[in-house]
Amino acid sequence: MPLSSTDWERLSLPAPIPELVVRPTTTQLFMFSAATWNRHHVHYDKDAALAEGLPGVVVHRALLGNFLARLLTEWVGDPGAVAELSWKVSQSALPGRDLHCDGEVVALEGVGAERRARCELRIRDADGRDIASGQALLRVG
Amino acid sequence: MNPDPVPAAARALIGVRKVRRCEVTRRDILRFAQAIGATDPLHFDEAYARGTRYGTIVAPPLFCQTLTYEDAPPGRLPPDGSPLEIAVPIPAQRAVGGGSDYVVHRLVRAGETITVTTELKDIVVKHGRSGLLYLVVVETRFDDAGGAPVACETATYIKRM
Repeated sequence: MPLSSTDWERLSLPAPIPELVVRPTTTQLFMFSAATWNRHHVHYDKDAALAEGLPGVVVHRALLGNFLARLLTEWVGDPGAVAELSWKVSQSALPGRDLHCDGEVVALEGVGAERRARCELRIRDADGRDIASGQALLRVG
Repeated sequence: MNPDPVPAAARALIGVRKVRRCEVTRRDILRFAQAIGATDPLHFDEAYARGTRYGTIVAPPLFCQTLTYEDAPPGRLPPDGSPLEIAVPIPAQRAVGGGSDYVVHRLVRAGETITVTTELKDIVVKHGRSGLLYLVVVETRFDDAGGAPVACETATYIKRM
């Protein structure tokens, strides 16, 4: 069941968002490249990626954003909950390794149909290094 | 005064808009959901979706990313295959994704035609550890057939020598 407006108002802030762990594979990177028609070789050609100084083929900026979107929508139970999502990549993420996505709701703001939950988000690798940080506004109720 | 590290030919592209129209199919939505690992039946099960407040299949929130890049054949792409949208004449080729600001007005439904408007918003120069970094900022607006906004993404790409 999606979170109800009552559930939101009862949250004790900051409220933790349950962690989502994903392990993107090279197959998933390929599928995301295909689905978004992204033909940049750093996402599928290891030699080319290494030649550019990257540690290997890297997870797309856009796919990292989708992991944060899934963190939010799978918690809330509604893909329509995301009103705004911003993220910044701080370090390349590699396929075949766990990514830990989590965050917290830090504020409830606005009224009525404009009521929003402000969230702080992050993605870290298995060693706790920052991969990306983000912010979101969720539609409440 | 130091000369502008952004060539005039690149600066001239700021503010230029390109417009395309794209039809969205159920299969596009299903494939995007599979690519991001989303398993919500709202993205592929019409009977299930009919019983929800959406009434039909809807796409994941960042779905319009599938419409962002121009449908150009390989011969028109830069040698590294990086997006044409960031192929600006600056002395930097290697690109990585930096960040994104994505606004979702509503979820996309199958069968819609989306108007995609791409605009180079800015080129910002920064001094990195290994030389100049060019932050290429591209805004992509997604509007529905009635002209109402569906989503807007402002993406920043980092380009180096």
